[in-house]
Amino acid sequence: MHEITSRPVPPADFAKVRMVEGFDEIKSRFPTYLSDESKLTLQPFDYLFFPKDEEELAAVVKEMGRRGVKVTIAGARTGLVGGCVPPEGALISLEHFDRVLSIYHVSQAEEWRLRVQGAVTLRDLNEMAMHKRFPDLERCGDEQVLAELKRFKDERTAYFYPPDPTETSASLGGTVATNASGARTFRYGPTRAWVRGIRVMLANGEFLEIPRGKYFASPSGWFVIYDSEGKDYPVRIPDYAMPRTKNTSGFFTSPYMDLIDLFIGSEGAFGVITEVDVALLQLQERISIVQFTKSDEQAIALVETLRADKRLKLDFLEFYAETAIEILRERQKEDPKAVDMPPIPAQARAAVFFDLAFDPLAEKPELDALEEVIASCGESVANSWAGYEARERTRFKVFRHVLPEWINATVAQRKKKHPGLHKLGTDLAVPDERLKDMWEVYKQALESAGLEWLAYGHIGNNHVHLNVLARNMDEFQKAQGLYAEFAKKAVKFGGTVSAEHGIGKTKLKFLSAMFSHEQIAQMRAVKKSLDPKDLINPGNIFLS
Amino acid sequence: MNIVVCVKQVPEITDVKVNPETGTLVREGVASILNPFCEYALDHAARLKASREDVHITALTMGPPQARGALLRCLELGADRGVLVTDRKFAGADTWATALTLSAAVKRTEPEYDLILVGKQAIDGDTAQVGPEMAEILGLPQIMYGVEMEFTPNGKRVRVKREVEAGYQLIEARLPALVSASKGERIRRVPSLADVIAARQKELLVISASELDLDENQLGLMGSFTQVVKIFPPSEKKGGRRLEGLSPEAAAKEIAAYLRAEQFIGD
Repeated sequence: MHEITSRPVPPADFAKVRMVEGFDEIKSRFPTYLSDESKLTLQPFDYLFFPKDEEELAAVVKEMGRRGVKVTIAGARTGLVGGCVPPEGALISLEHFDRVLSIYHVSQAEEWRLRVQGAVTLRDLNEMAMHKRFPDLERCGDEQVLAELKRFKDERTAYFYPPDPTETSASLGGTVATNASGARTFRYGPTRAWVRGIRVMLANGEFLEIPRGKYFASPSGWFVIYDSEGKDYPVRIPDYAMPRTKNTSGFFTSPYMDLIDLFIGSEGAFGVITEVDVALLQLQERISIVQFTKSDEQAIALVETLRADKRLKLDFLEFYAETAIEILRERQKEDPKAVDMPPIPAQARAAVFFDLAFDPLAEKPELDALEEVIASCGESVANSWAGYEARERTRFKVFRHVLPEWINATVAQRKKKHPGLHKLGTDLAVPDERLKDMWEVYKQALESAGLEWLAYGHIGNNHVHLNVLARNMDEFQKAQGLYAEFAKKAVKFGGTVSAEHGIGKTKLKFLSAMFSHEQIAQMRAVKKSLDPKDLINPGNIFLS
Repeated sequence: MNIVVCVKQVPEITDVKVNPETGTLVREGVASILNPFCEYALDHAARLKASREDVHITALTMGPPQARGALLRCLELGADRGVLVTDRKFAGADTWATALTLSAAVKRTEPEYDLILVGKQAIDGDTAQVGPEMAEILGLPQIMYGVEMEFTPNGKRVRVKREVEAGYQLIEARLPALVSASKGERIRRVPSLADVIAARQKELLVISASELDLDENQLGLMGSFTQVVKIFPPSEKKGGRRLEGLSPEAAAKEIAAYLRAEQFIGD
């Protein structure tokens, strides 16, 4: 079925919606609403709304539409590319959409699902799923919901939500709008793979209920959306091919695509996600391992071997390049407690970090295959750190954050002398077979440019974050030039310019490195069909 | 030189939750870990082992079958052998019955011991009694709250730097002796994957009550002089007020107004 009809909700009184008017007022009382983690700020805007339900949200969007005022939607404002930073008009904060609505089991799919409002955070979702405590549901008084909750609690297994963007205070709606991913995307895919349904408000103020697996593009690539009065909005899906990597640049498309996938990762271009159905997965005990290697090249060889061995099911596969290990060693000397790990072995140059299922009490733990793979790459399991207790695994994760925190602190320090500097990190990914080639391009260019740099990140998805620490504006410009070259190279290798951060408003120029004018025109056409007046989230992905 | 490190598996808890209906500790969803002070004792054992070639470390625990997990951690961190003393008859043991059982298990499994190391206390019961009681039962000199320790060159004595209120004491005791540890490695050690694999190939002996030279009425609840009547958390503090979404200036004004209104500060 490629046709769907939107439904209105009973209108609320616009005058009763909590509103802050005037930029000065917003700036003095709600300064944190001016930006997100990108720290981007744009022109003054006029209104800040806090709707408490869908009725109020619809009232705001309709009234703003009537006045010709554009609206930008904010979740938890943890994005990295300014997606929720208003270029004008109004900002609508969805923070009151924070309730868990139901938990239910789908026997056909053999999975438990949660339906939540968009502002529920990842952290809360996982805490609730793991400890099986749902205050919203327990107080709801609905017998059917309570019965399902009891069934869920009676199961002895613990559950979790697999997508793991680093920022756990992100709102679920935000992660769906941006198709967020994280380290575990290596095994479980991005957010898209775990979304089973959404409820979304369109620019006309009406709502679409889109379960996964019900609405598919017609053979000629069309969807038709009807509003409650019978007016039709035909949507032609783009026909470009998606990169064979994890990707957050450009709208998703594929032949016979599911309508839900058009909205997931659209960076809010087509509507406001108010409710989400997500699937949960059984939680297994795991062991985290940092395996040190003799060089970057050895680490990459180990990554390729670990990936190729079908016996091993790693949750994630992360990288610490030689440059990163050197910095961590320095940090350990300066402040061992801040790093909170034993001294990095003297012979270690680089490392890979991964996680796999492990039963600590098993008579014979299944680690033979892993030991074999590591030995076959010429590395020793004695040069590693391993931990499986929850507190140990948390420690490994904290260790992973030492680098980004150090980078932020270093950039902030240098910015004092050179105010034009800012953090320079890449978000490029390439297909598996190009990992080694891309790494050679990076290393050669950065070393011959004489820049201070380091690399770490999601190497399992061939998505290594490069960071150049420019010491002055000359170096900064040099690094920017290199980044543009790297982006072109990644696209040439069949990869993406934005694997997980998105395009938003700060990476517009990268989109054209990856898509032709014609392809971008196809994206614009989708936006125009669904939001003809460009009312919702203007300026994201491409300039209006 | 034979070192026995007596350890305990404890729930990993930062705040105690008590089931209001049954009055017992809520253990659901709470992971079990090796008591941190026991890990310190093991740290010292590993250091002593590094200082001499002939040191053999046995990690010993009394507990339910799953306490094997704590022993595996000890084996990963350098113990050569684990001993799990487990039996339903040990249930409800107080510190005395526990000390008696552990002492009997030491005599049974490592009669030629030179040094017994314990943590200064467990983070769940916090009694700090089991170590000293064991020393009494076994007739050993005891040094509590050790932070550094070494064998004298002739291997006849142990020299311990111990914490006291005003500073430190340096004390020597003839061996065999019992020492408790109150500090270990500043940065907790992390085993390697090789250690994790090797730990599961080391000897792990499981013994029951019938293998100890004790009467049944000396074990568990029957052998206990004390009994926990009730566990309860301290009364909860009322939640404070949180100011959100305000600029620093506006928040400061609000706080100052509150402090003035409540007469914490003058006008």
